[in-house]
Amino acid sequence: MTEGKVTGVLQSDWSAAIQDYPMASCWTHDGGALVVCDSAGGVYAFDSQQGELLWSEQSAHEGGALAMSMHPRETLFATAGQDGKILIWDLSEARPRCCIEIGSGWVENLLWSPDGAQLASSHGREIQIFAADGTEQWRSDEHLSTVSALGWLNSKELVSTCYGRVTIFDSGTGGSDQRFEWKGSLVSLALSPDGDVIACGSQDNSVHFWRRSTGEDSMMSGYPGKPTALAFDSTGTLLATGGGDAVTVWSFEGNGPEGTYPGSLELHERAVSALSFAPDGLTLASGGRDGLVFVWSLQSDGQGRPEGAAMLESVLAEVCWRPDGKALAALDGEGIVTVWTVS
Amino acid sequence: MNAEAKVPVTILTGFLGSGKTTLLNKILSEEHGKRIAVIENEFGEVGIDQALVIEADEEIFEMSNGCICCTVRGDLIRVLGNLMKRRDKFDYVLVETTGLADPGPVAQTFFMDDEIREEFALDGIVTLVDAGHINQQLGRSDESEEQVAFADVLVLNKTDLVDDATLDDLEARLREMNRMARVVRCEQAEVPVDTVLNLSAFNLEEALERRPTFLEPEYPFEWTGVYQLSPGRYQLDLAEGPDPAMSLVVRPGQVLDDAGLREGAEWCVRRYAEPTCSVDVGGVVKAGEHACLELSSAGRKSFFFDVAAEDTVGLFTQHTAEEFDLKLRGPDGEEVPPSAERTWVAQHEHDDEVGSIAIERDGDVDPEKLNRWLGKLLQERGVDIFRTKGIISIAGDPMRMVFQGVHMLLDAQPDRPWGDDPRRNQLVLIGRNLDEQAIREGFDACLL
Repeated sequence: MTEGKVTGVLQSDWSAAIQDYPMASCWTHDGGALVVCDSAGGVYAFDSQQGELLWSEQSAHEGGALAMSMHPRETLFATAGQDGKILIWDLSEARPRCCIEIGSGWVENLLWSPDGAQLASSHGREIQIFAADGTEQWRSDEHLSTVSALGWLNSKELVSTCYGRVTIFDSGTGGSDQRFEWKGSLVSLALSPDGDVIACGSQDNSVHFWRRSTGEDSMMSGYPGKPTALAFDSTGTLLATGGGDAVTVWSFEGNGPEGTYPGSLELHERAVSALSFAPDGLTLASGGRDGLVFVWSLQSDGQGRPEGAAMLESVLAEVCWRPDGKALAALDGEGIVTVWTVS
Repeated sequence: MNAEAKVPVTILTGFLGSGKTTLLNKILSEEHGKRIAVIENEFGEVGIDQALVIEADEEIFEMSNGCICCTVRGDLIRVLGNLMKRRDKFDYVLVETTGLADPGPVAQTFFMDDEIREEFALDGIVTLVDAGHINQQLGRSDESEEQVAFADVLVLNKTDLVDDATLDDLEARLREMNRMARVVRCEQAEVPVDTVLNLSAFNLEEALERRPTFLEPEYPFEWTGVYQLSPGRYQLDLAEGPDPAMSLVVRPGQVLDDAGLREGAEWCVRRYAEPTCSVDVGGVVKAGEHACLELSSAGRKSFFFDVAAEDTVGLFTQHTAEEFDLKLRGPDGEEVPPSAERTWVAQHEHDDEVGSIAIERDGDVDPEKLNRWLGKLLQERGVDIFRTKGIISIAGDPMRMVFQGVHMLLDAQPDRPWGDDPRRNQLVLIGRNLDEQAIREGFDACLL
């Protein structure tokens, strides 16, 4: 494939450039705009249809942005960065409506709760919970090490990961009633939509997961690299994982995935760096360090075939489906934002 | 991605108060044209604005496989992983560890994590030593010994706090512990930046190109005296000593400072490798020759050397001046005191647990035996073996095999053809409580 070429179900729509490496991206809940932040600290909002730049703020976070999260119902979103700050923005205002100063040091994770009532963040070994207006509600004790990921099981329960531990917090009180210990550095997190399975990629080239309902855990090893990209589909049937040139797909059908062979999607020439399931159905988008993007149609056993492909300039930082599932955004390491319609 | 494109990383270690922040600030102010990122674990006052300073707590991550050698530094993976995303790459990264840091996991991070290894190259480990306190610290703390053991460069700082004899003794002790490291003396961390940066210490091919050996020389002389002399004939006056003969090199143009003394020492190591010229009592020693003074007769003896023009002259003697009560007398017979002195070899043995084993053997090695022996050694003793380096002559292979390791991680590769060089093996291990005799015998058993 040559650079810029697009095949299959992907049809070129628009592309745009931002200043530096994209750190996070998300669509507004109505799919009307795509918001991106970069490692130079800029925040950019693009119109969904033509890719017109609605507005940008080049130096929102000194030192660089690190995380972003879109509110599930309103046009609010939050960004965080190396400056130790969280900014809450309204898309229509083009400037932050609220700035939360957490302290010196990086704010690396940021996530709205599914009901949009709370915003969770992590700063070093601590997590902080805010109301939608930015008022702090509680903060955790220090974790064993820097918090590596956050996730919401539902609007009442928050999960954090760090080296050696997964902790579940009651988001109302800040109390933690369940934790899973495991000696390893957890670098990525994906939660099944029903909140039962907590899956983590680990520094030692494995994927570890826990089932809350039974307390059982399993380890999937044999990856050639760190699985930094993980994604569950919307039904919780499939868990797609990176950790090598192949996309490894575990099926939770029946008694699986324990004791089953995973699906292996092998077209990338370098390590898989980004994964995202379409909002409905078993359609997966994958991006790699090779600059390739594939759209796969999967079966419930994890096997699948490619439906479309595109080649970008460099490593894929993000792939991100529009909420209607009819467009896919991809962001590469050169700061190019590309959006395709998906037929 | 080629090796040149990788961003070099230097690790600065040393106990609290050893001068890490001072050195860091000095590097940053002298290298102001470069884009340098500093990762600080000890939150000192970095006074240079243009550097990007990132503070991060030390986080040691063990792996679930239970191997205690397989530890990495989570904070570095996180911070470096983020730095490498930026389009405007950094020219250099400096990591300042806390005083109590174990350098092992820091170094291993650059070999164990694929993404880090792809973008960054560990350039060297620089350990600062507080001359006034290191003697006590070495006895009390494992971390302090490990920081010395891991170093590529030992900066012996705050030399103004102790006298010269203590300094010589301290340096000998450090060299005994780590025979790979270069020792640099200074006050207030004032060392030339090129002695601590761009060392390529973990890239043996490149390091060996610059210096043909990774063993710092064991000096064949114990003492140096430097004298400021006017033209004339000078008399070396010696009493009876422990040996019937003593080697000596007279070096004109000797510089007085630490760097000058080291340069003189390296020059004289090569003179000492030449055959000796025997000089009888009353004879004249020529500048630059490897002279051997005949001392077998009884009583005090005199030898002479000539100085043509005003000069600073270094005497590099096989034994200390004290042992033979060596005195230098001018043309008028008056004693001339040295302007500077340096004792190169320890006066007494330290029984440090951490030490170096250097093996040098001619001939070829059976690769299978070497693999088995080294594999077993690292498996059993990897925790206690901090660093390893080697140049190996594999039987039947025209290329030199070079390797280097940190704990159990070993990286071996072919270097360059032996050509006309004698096929000779060199192996250095630095570790704690190593059984030197067993290791020597183990290696010898691998020879053909």
